[in-house]
Amino acid sequence: MLKGFRGLGFFFMQYRVKWILGLTCVFFSVGISLLGPPFFVRFVIDELYAGRATLETIGLNASYIILTTLAANIIVFMQRQFNVVSSYLVAYDVRKAIFNHLTTLDQTYFHVTKTGDLMSRLTSDLNMVREMLGFGINAGSQTLLRLIMSLGLMIWLSPTLGFIVLGVFPFIAGLLAIMVRIIAKRYVAVQEQVSLISAKAQENFSGIRVVKGYAIEDREIDEYKGMNAEYKKRSMALALAEAPEWAAVGIFMNAIFVIVLLVGSRELLYQGALSGNAAANFAGLTPGKFVQFFTYLFELSWPMLAVGWMTNVFQRGSSSWSRLQEILDAKSMITDARADPSIKEVIGAIEFKDVSFKADGRALLSNINLKIEQGKTIGITGRTGSGKTLLAQLIGRLIDPSTGTVLIDGTDAHNVPIQVLRGAIGLVPQEPFLFSDKISENIAFGLPNSTQTAEPNTPDLERVKNAARIAGLSKDVLDFKEQFETVLGERGVTLSGGQRQRTALARAIAREPAILILDDSMSAVDTETESRILNELKTVLANRTVILIGHRVSTLRFADQIVVLEHGRVLETGSHEALIAQGGYYAEMERKQSLQTELEEDEASPTLIGANSQ
Amino acid sequence: MREEDAFQKQFDWQLTKRIFGYLRPYIWVAIGALVLAFLNSATNRLYPFLQAQVIDQYLIPKAGSSFAAVGIDERWNGIVTIGIIIAVVALIEFVVRFGFNYVLSYMGQSVLFDIRADLFSKLQRLPLAYFDRNPVGRLITRVTSDVDAINSFITDGLMTLVQSIFVIGATAILMFTLNSKLALVAFAVVPILFFALRFFQTQFRKSYREIRIKQAIVNTALNENITGMGTVQIFNREARQRRDFDKLNTDFLKEFLKAVRWFSFFFPTVGIIGNSALAAVIWVGGGDAVRNAVSIGVLYAFTRYVFDFFRPLEDLSNVLNTLQAAMASAERIFGILDEPEVVTDAPNAKKIVGGFKGEVQFKDVWFSYKPVGEEVLETDWVLRGINLHVKPGQSVALVGATGAGKTSIISLVSRFYDIQKGSILVDGTDVREIVQRDLRKHIGVVLQDVYLFSGTIESNLRMNDESIPLEKIIQACKYVGVHDFISSLANGYKTEVKERGATLSTGQKQLLAFARALIANPDILLVLDEATANIDTESELQIQDALAKVMHGRTSIIIAHRLSTIKNCDRIIVMRKGKIVEEGSHDELLRHNGYYATLYNLQYADQELAGV
Repeated sequence: MLKGFRGLGFFFMQYRVKWILGLTCVFFSVGISLLGPPFFVRFVIDELYAGRATLETIGLNASYIILTTLAANIIVFMQRQFNVVSSYLVAYDVRKAIFNHLTTLDQTYFHVTKTGDLMSRLTSDLNMVREMLGFGINAGSQTLLRLIMSLGLMIWLSPTLGFIVLGVFPFIAGLLAIMVRIIAKRYVAVQEQVSLISAKAQENFSGIRVVKGYAIEDREIDEYKGMNAEYKKRSMALALAEAPEWAAVGIFMNAIFVIVLLVGSRELLYQGALSGNAAANFAGLTPGKFVQFFTYLFELSWPMLAVGWMTNVFQRGSSSWSRLQEILDAKSMITDARADPSIKEVIGAIEFKDVSFKADGRALLSNINLKIEQGKTIGITGRTGSGKTLLAQLIGRLIDPSTGTVLIDGTDAHNVPIQVLRGAIGLVPQEPFLFSDKISENIAFGLPNSTQTAEPNTPDLERVKNAARIAGLSKDVLDFKEQFETVLGERGVTLSGGQRQRTALARAIAREPAILILDDSMSAVDTETESRILNELKTVLANRTVILIGHRVSTLRFADQIVVLEHGRVLETGSHEALIAQGGYYAEMERKQSLQTELEEDEASPTLIGANSQ
Repeated sequence: MREEDAFQKQFDWQLTKRIFGYLRPYIWVAIGALVLAFLNSATNRLYPFLQAQVIDQYLIPKAGSSFAAVGIDERWNGIVTIGIIIAVVALIEFVVRFGFNYVLSYMGQSVLFDIRADLFSKLQRLPLAYFDRNPVGRLITRVTSDVDAINSFITDGLMTLVQSIFVIGATAILMFTLNSKLALVAFAVVPILFFALRFFQTQFRKSYREIRIKQAIVNTALNENITGMGTVQIFNREARQRRDFDKLNTDFLKEFLKAVRWFSFFFPTVGIIGNSALAAVIWVGGGDAVRNAVSIGVLYAFTRYVFDFFRPLEDLSNVLNTLQAAMASAERIFGILDEPEVVTDAPNAKKIVGGFKGEVQFKDVWFSYKPVGEEVLETDWVLRGINLHVKPGQSVALVGATGAGKTSIISLVSRFYDIQKGSILVDGTDVREIVQRDLRKHIGVVLQDVYLFSGTIESNLRMNDESIPLEKIIQACKYVGVHDFISSLANGYKTEVKERGATLSTGQKQLLAFARALIANPDILLVLDEATANIDTESELQIQDALAKVMHGRTSIIIAHRLSTIKNCDRIIVMRKGKIVEEGSHDELLRHNGYYATLYNLQYADQELAGV
């Protein structure tokens, strides 16, 4: 099991002093609570029995009970503050470490790993680990210590009775272990049925059209009921195994109880302990000791049940941790290993030299050769899946080519420090991702004073407003009550597709990047607005390199040069006029789009545009 | 925030009564559970009492008396007798405890089963519009966790309530039997403990709520950052995002530490209260013992009883939360059960025996997805005065842009929705006057992406009808050309469908859809034939062939995206924005050079060129 904790040790050891103090507290709190009150009760009973008790001794012992209880419980308080708090601190550290690590991982990792999977690791797995460290260590050590100390004290009080208990103990433990195993097995069977039932409901609700269409509601109800009947059957089988667990512990404890009661009473009766002067016999068993013995005996039932539970907590904790460690083990493929720190700036010339990109053994880009001069606008088009977005990702090193080189300002992109390279790029992705934050914060997302680690200044509002104006977003924002302070997302305003795209555009423009990449980023913006925005961009971003990925001829027209991709290869390249004259894919695209305009007259139907571009 | 509701929802007697309604069939089981609960609490409390008897009657003589008159062996025999009594009580307790747990599970499971069955059956009767409104995930929650909440209402809630009261009652009776003064002393702890428990539980609840809110914030941030990591990285925001996340993470930690602090106070407080009661019993009882007013055995019994209040009191103070939590779930479940079944059979709805001739008529049909009876805005209309007459055996192709209303027409023939104005007639009878089952049984709907249920290929082909012989199924599969594929599978027709057929190709799925329709042998066929991307020519031809075969001799209404399909139909209906704008054969419409001609140029002309 220790192997499963590789890497956790580091986080654990950060709080070693606390853990040591915590475990020390456990030792003392258990010790005091077992030795304190039961002893004073025993004194009172023995004194009463011996006929020596006075109101004073009684009162004194009662206050000792209070005092020891207070002491033990103050230690219990500290114990939780050390142990349980440490477990939350570790959880905090792990969460932080993993988050920080995730920010260093490349896009390939996020493509392979599902968000839901990462989320469940960071929530439920982390929770299991926390539970193991908190509950597992705190309650586990406490339970174990109580068990050992109680048994020790019992043997010390009366070796005969103590060894009787110790002798029966393994049988109970063995029996419980068997029961726990049966219960676990049946529990799994119940859980399997639960997922079957959920799957059935899911299937039925998603396919309700077919269910109704074929009028098979009755069959579905029968099947569902059948599955639930099976679930009930399995649940009852589980209950049949579970119900006796507590009952069995109960009857075993009672069996020990009866044996101890009889053996102890006999000892008291026949050893003369009760013959008169108790003081003489205080070396042997006394009524007080007898009573104290029972206190410890009743302490045992809980630990017996808890042992199985604790093992479970540690097992789950260890497998959860290995899933977390997996994230920490992941390495980014895109690094600054070959970066030349003397490069502080990117001018904006881009060249693809024999660039190929493979994923899962499939060539997605093959031998791309393309030169984009600084300050030029290049249009890229082609069917979905032809590799347009990959080209855009290669420039910002979100991915690296499998073979070939991407040159930035004439040097290999690998030589440009990632921070410098990305700092020079404004990317407007196909599906803009906005954060649930204020609009102003979203637009200022990539501004230098927003990216610093230090407490950020409020975003440069002039720059934000200007970017919004260029992106054609001002009017929309001014319509919101809170204007630029409007919060987006679940707890705020939901933007339309076009608004989202224009916000993402404003975010990229605000950076005043040397290279602006528009990856099909205005599909939800109508043609007219798009033209207006592009015209505006031309004046503002004159002299900057622009990569314009899209399907609309009206957009692509703005480019100095247009590249048509197909199956990851360059199919056509040239100016708008040259490509029209060529009569190939681009010319056909232009023809269809003018037909489209005709068809839809003045009412644009975005769906048809989408269909056409497929 | 959904869990939040659980706590804000107040205890509701009406809902509780309705939940009780589900217990009615198990009334005897419930009574049995109560009896067992009572016996369980009673037996469990007897031990200290019996032990006190051993001490007082046989071990330590009461003040003023002595055992001199009784021999040691006689005393031993007395102890053995009580030992036997304890053993018997223990056996009874074992059986009762086992029985109680089992019966409780049985009751809970039975109610669970009944509610689930009711809920699922009800959902099967709800109109399609209900499923349009409610995402599948939400409905799943209803039949799983909400139903579970009702189960815990009964088992953890009501029964714990009853049992806790029994336990406290039994303890009280035994204590008062032993010594009423000490009983009062010990009982003094009950209200203190209860209020302490309530106090802490309120704090825990508040704390948990805060934790959940913080957890949601952390999760949102995590989710957002993981999804948007590309954006974060390209904008060089990693450092800032880390810092922002650390803030949330720290807030989350602080909230946890607050909860830990409450817990750190909780356990010692309970321990101190319990042991104070012990000290009080020792002090008062011990004093009385000195004055010979209390025997040692009784004093001992009380030192045990003072600790027995904790568990039932804790359960008791928890019970209210469980009951309240179930209220919100109960409300949601009953909400579904009370949902009106809008699309219902008319009282004298016509039964269809033998099938339809296959005549379909739309008479000035106006339709909107808004529920019938609600006000419909001008923009809500999906169909605006459709008139359409399809004669028996005729085939009709619906063409038009997305959103023109083609799918609605198909949904309406099967009466998945009711219309606002006009009428839809099948064989001259309004669909609202026909038993829904019968109507749908004789209408076949073919969706392009065949929906496969878990089960075998065969059960998916025959759907409900066990009377269809396998030969007929095979024959149909041969006819549409999917037999060879099915035979090539490991278990042929008995092959289990995995992940809803994720491993099947688009072409194979479509052929299965046609085979399924053919086997059902409907009189009216409705087909959603969407353009299939990335399909090879051979499969494409196979599908076209299969479709033609299925359509043969049947009234067919087809949403057509394939030129070949369109050309195969007797008539083309061109739809635009909820209206029929053109109608006729392919050639006629091309000659007319209207909307269809433009559509053709845009969408279908390529297919002609490609030769498929």
